[in-house]
Amino acid sequence: MWNTGLWKMSLFAQTNAESLASRVEGTWAWTMVIPIILGAAGYLLVQEGIVRHKFMLGLGLVSLAASAVFTALFLPPTLDAYIVFLFCIVATGGGVGFLTAREPVYAALGFATAVLSTCGILFMQSAMFVAAATMIVYAGATIIIFLFVLMFAQQTDLRVYDIKLTNPCLAGAIGTVMMITITYCVTHDGSFPLRKVDSSRLMSEALLPEELQSEEAKIEFSRQKLQSAETGPGIVPQTTAGLGRSLYTDYLIAVELAGTVLLVATIGAIALATKPTAEAGS
Amino acid sequence: MNDVMTQNMLVFAGLLFSAGFVGFLTRRSLILMFLSLEMMLAGVSINLIAFARHYGNFQGQVLAIMVLTIAACEAAIALALVVSLYRKKATLDIKAWDELSETLVPKEVEAPISMSTTEQVFPSLTPSGLDPLQDPVPSEFMANLKVGETIGNPVVNEKKAEVSNNA
Repeated sequence: MWNTGLWKMSLFAQTNAESLASRVEGTWAWTMVIPIILGAAGYLLVQEGIVRHKFMLGLGLVSLAASAVFTALFLPPTLDAYIVFLFCIVATGGGVGFLTAREPVYAALGFATAVLSTCGILFMQSAMFVAAATMIVYAGATIIIFLFVLMFAQQTDLRVYDIKLTNPCLAGAIGTVMMITITYCVTHDGSFPLRKVDSSRLMSEALLPEELQSEEAKIEFSRQKLQSAETGPGIVPQTTAGLGRSLYTDYLIAVELAGTVLLVATIGAIALATKPTAEAGS
Repeated sequence: MNDVMTQNMLVFAGLLFSAGFVGFLTRRSLILMFLSLEMMLAGVSINLIAFARHYGNFQGQVLAIMVLTIAACEAAIALALVVSLYRKKATLDIKAWDELSETLVPKEVEAPISMSTTEQVFPSLTPSGLDPLQDPVPSEFMANLKVGETIGNPVVNEKKAEVSNNA
C-alpha cells in the first residue's frame, strides 16, 4: 500500500503516472483568444460600470464568467486541473476586484484574495514552503503595512485619483496583446523543453537517475530513499527538507546575499521614512 | 509535446502578470501602483514554481524564495518612499509628480469628477469675511485692497459718504 501510495498521492505528487500520461500535443488554437478578449471586455465594463451604472457592471461580470467557462473547455479532465482552476478563478476575481475597486481598502482586499489563492496554487504545485512563506510575507506583512500606510494617508473620502483611472482602454488593449502573446508562446508546440537532468546543482536535483525509468523501479527507489533518508539526489521536489538542503548547500552565497539585501533595505527604509530634521533641511 | 499542467500554470502566471501590468498603468494612487507591482511578482513566482515542478528540482523554488525576499525589500523601500512623498505634497496622486516628466508633454486638463458615498451636498452660503458694519476697517485688510475697490455694505458706504460731505 505504501509503495503505490507514494506515487499515487495524486493531489500533491504531480510527477505521478497520471500526469505523465496526460501530456498532450501543444494545443495552441485561435479559439484561445476568445476568453482573453472576453476577459478584457469584462474588465473594461466592470471598471466603468462600478462608477456609472449597475447594468454595465452586471454585463462585465457576465463577460468574465463567460471567459472562465470558455477557459474551462481547454482544461484536461483531471481533478488536479479543476482544483487548480478553481484557485485560478478566485485569484483572477481578486485581481479584477483589485483593478476595478475604487476604495483603496477594497482594492487591497482584492489583492489579498489574489495572493492567497496564488498560495493555494503554489501548494498544488507541491511547493509547500514557498506557499507558506508567500502567505506570511504577502498576505501578512505586506498587506498589513500597505493598510497602515493607507490609514496614514487618511482616506476618509474618495479622491479624484482613486476614481479616475489613467487610460484604461489603452492599458486593457496592451494587456490583451500581452496575454495573447504569452498564451501563444506558452502553448504552441515545443514551447518549452521536456524534462531533462540538470546536474549543475547537485543538491537541488530531484530527478530520478536514468536506470530508474520504469514505474516499479521508481516506487522501489523512492521507498528505499525515504527509509534510509540519505542525502544526495532527491526524488520528488516536494519535501521542505530537500528545499532547505538545496538552499544551504548550492545557494549558500545567494542566501547570505539575500540576507544582506534585507538588512540594507531595512536600513534604507528607516533612513527614508524618518522625518527630516532641521539640520538636514538647511 | 507539452506538459498540460505546466502550460496552464504558465498561462495563469501570464494572466496575473498582465493584470498587474494593467493595474500599474491605470491606477493613480501610489500605494495601489506598488500593489500592482507585487501582483506581477506573484505571477513571476508562479512561473518559477511551475518550472521547478516541471524539471523536478528545487532550483525554481529557491529562485522563488529569492523573489520573495526582494519583494519584501521592495515593499519596505517603496512604502518609505511613499511616506516621504506624501509628506511633501499631502497626496498619493501620481499626477502630482508630473513635473518630474518631460516638460514638452502638454498638461492634461483634469475634468472634475465626483463619486462619493460620504460626501454631502451643503447649501452654498455667501462667503464671509469682514463684518460690513465694522468701523474702522482694519488696516491690514485695507492694504490688500486694489485701487478703487470698496468694501462693506454699499448702502452703509453711501451713508458714510453723505455724513462726511455734510461735515
